[in-house]
Amino acid sequence: MSNSRNIVIAGAAGQGVDSAVALAGKVLLKAGFQLFITADYQSRVRGGHNFMRIRFSDQPLLAAVTSIDYLLALNEESLLLHLPDLKNDGLAFVMAADATNLKDQRIITLPATVGPKAAQGTTFTGIKLLSLLFVKLGLSMAIFKQTIEREFSQKISQALLKTNLDTISEIATFFAPDFPQVLDFAAKPEPRRMLVNGNESIALGMIAAGIGVYTAYPMTPSTSVLNVLAGCGPQLGIAVEQVEDEIAALNAALGASYAGARAATGSSGAGICLMAEAIGMAGICEIPIVIFDAQRSSPATGMATRTEQADLLFVAHVSHGDFPRLIIAPANHTESFYLSAEAFNLADKWQIPVFILSDQAQASADCSVEEFDLEKVSIDRGVIAAEPQSNEMLRRYEVTENGISARAFPQLSQWLISSDSHEHNEIGQVSDDIDNRNRQHQKRMRKLKYLAASLPAPEIIGAPADKLIICWGSTVGPVLEAAEIFRAQGNQLAVAIFQYLYPLNRERIEKVLAPFNNIYTIEGNYSGQLGKLLQMETSVRITGHIGKTDGRLFTVEDVLQNFSKLVGG
Amino acid sequence: MNCEYESAFVPQWCPGCGNFVTLDCLQTALCNLNIKARDFVIAAGIGQAAKLGFSLKCNLLAGLHGRALPLAMGLKMANHQLKVLAISGDGCFYAEGGNHLLHTARRNLDVTMLASDNRVFGLTKGQAAPTAAATFTTKVHPEGTGAKPLEPTLIALSAGATFVAKAFTGNPEELTSLMEKAIQHKGFALIDILAPCISFNKVNTFAWFKKRVHSISADHDQNNLAAAIELAQFDPEVTIPTGLYYQAKKPVYGRNKKALQGESIAIRTQNYKPERVKGLFANYQS
Repeated sequence: MSNSRNIVIAGAAGQGVDSAVALAGKVLLKAGFQLFITADYQSRVRGGHNFMRIRFSDQPLLAAVTSIDYLLALNEESLLLHLPDLKNDGLAFVMAADATNLKDQRIITLPATVGPKAAQGTTFTGIKLLSLLFVKLGLSMAIFKQTIEREFSQKISQALLKTNLDTISEIATFFAPDFPQVLDFAAKPEPRRMLVNGNESIALGMIAAGIGVYTAYPMTPSTSVLNVLAGCGPQLGIAVEQVEDEIAALNAALGASYAGARAATGSSGAGICLMAEAIGMAGICEIPIVIFDAQRSSPATGMATRTEQADLLFVAHVSHGDFPRLIIAPANHTESFYLSAEAFNLADKWQIPVFILSDQAQASADCSVEEFDLEKVSIDRGVIAAEPQSNEMLRRYEVTENGISARAFPQLSQWLISSDSHEHNEIGQVSDDIDNRNRQHQKRMRKLKYLAASLPAPEIIGAPADKLIICWGSTVGPVLEAAEIFRAQGNQLAVAIFQYLYPLNRERIEKVLAPFNNIYTIEGNYSGQLGKLLQMETSVRITGHIGKTDGRLFTVEDVLQNFSKLVGG
Repeated sequence: MNCEYESAFVPQWCPGCGNFVTLDCLQTALCNLNIKARDFVIAAGIGQAAKLGFSLKCNLLAGLHGRALPLAMGLKMANHQLKVLAISGDGCFYAEGGNHLLHTARRNLDVTMLASDNRVFGLTKGQAAPTAAATFTTKVHPEGTGAKPLEPTLIALSAGATFVAKAFTGNPEELTSLMEKAIQHKGFALIDILAPCISFNKVNTFAWFKKRVHSISADHDQNNLAAAIELAQFDPEVTIPTGLYYQAKKPVYGRNKKALQGESIAIRTQNYKPERVKGLFANYQS
């Protein structure tokens, strides 16, 4: 944690916390720092209290921290709320009027009179406090100004732009030249480095995979995937539609996949609930489909802008009946890209629904990543039937040893293709014949067996150790960082990272987990859902679970405290 | 008839079911229009009428109860050059899938919706359909439904459908001719097909419909929405006009989308490379 700094920008909704953070993120990225930015929003448009954390470093970051190095409080309430987390050697930046009753040498106040005439008083607070921070950090004001010009020149008037730039200049000269505090790490500029949130990574991965159709109904925190794909749809030829409900969303995506496009839908848990029946249809019709679930606080409406990892057992079982499916949970923003692309290959190969399980914490966190390497992405459509001599019904559900039958697409081929949500025979005609039912059902379930056997074992970090922590998704980043600190303090502790959550490769998992006597899960849920799934599907036994249901992400400090309690540090 | 859609599959409908007529008419219409089997897909829901597609040798996506129209939506998004027919019954389209009817019609999706309307549920044995009269009694509704029957043509007209018709299986010539027009129509086309159920509807029988249906008079202006809406406000217990209520030329779904011009997405997908994402990376770089 030493080679990083944590900035918190806090204020009321509508005060511009998010735009100040977006600006700061771009400046720090340009300056050459690695970033991890997290938001804590209330589900409202005005008022309330919002804050965001900008953590920056010379090393890649995968987690947020609680303790604050620099606090930018846009009002008095925000100052009072966050001062307890400000480090002893930290600094708070506020407008003078917001700190009249406080005597704390860590607070740096900016008089309302500083700045150009047009920006005096309590206006332009975000720009003023950011300027103050960047002066303090000794960052180039030129980068700050360039960023503002690039971001705002098309959006605001020239006069307003000039006021912003003048504000930066005046604040930079207001403070004494010895004001800057030197950081103990140096920026390493890399122009191709990207700043993306989890949903953007996922959307970019979908595009790399060749997505052609995305249908969805807006639901926080999944909506930004819909926005990204819709935004580049006209240019890249992706048909994107906001349909009437999630039922239509998945059914339309299934229609598109049957017709030959790579198709996906996305929502949060409540929307996935509405898709339940069509998920089973994907199973029995063997239509490849990718379903993105950005988990949020649950059940029902829950807390719309808060996070949770409590959909795992739901998506592992959603829809009635037995049929194969796959659940992938990227552990960070880089994996979100590659695994989202791979999700389409696996869906096509096995002709099953594939879930990409993310959550609000990942969806809304901006993380710096190295530019995605397209050499590592391939497009594999799975088994396609050889062309017939004339129009014939395809044996779409031909019974095979691995359960996979060749596909073809209407009009693109001479095959005529019948896909049926009833139990059906090999050419896709409704049938309730006993032998046929058994053959078709077994064929589908064999795919699950072979799919499970093809999946990699979880990665183990920090072995040998007696104790192991299991984690997945957004929890992985803070757990890895906390475990490193914990080990540096002289403790033994290993971590297992699960990306493939269902089906579980029993043999491989049992083998890599065998050396550990005590296995704990850390998940953003109440019941320890991955632990339960492991106990259902393997001989692994879980000693204990650290859960979290308050809707907030795990910080590194949260995890460390739990390590000490659970493992006795 | 010797037709390329001929299938060996025998439909499991009751002898005398109106759906046999619908099936015959559809085969005739497709043959008359010389539509190749590979160029169309039937998106089916669930119910007796929805099984029609199994009796044709064609592309078929037989989905869930109520969801034929969203399937059709996805088919047309992936391949806007496909002809798509959505086929199911009154329970599927008007009860379970009612929401989809509103939105598919207002988008003017280029799809032909063939709704078998017999005012009763066949597959689940005799419950009231949304088109049943308020006085229609069933095991579930021993005192009648008490609810106003939906008039599908009126809903489709108000939602934005650009081809709205009603037909009766007792007049197969008219039904075939309407099917041909509907399939050729560019935009959302509904034919509400009165197809009597001989097993579960002892009220609205073939004879009952026969007495009440009449072809729309020749002076009806099919291009006039107000006139069509006027026409659709009949008393379904007294007299039922059949024929083309309304047809209009309006932009179809996808006309404003660059992705849905020219070659279909399904075809383009075959040539996609991961590099197509490359140009977007700059949006996230400093």
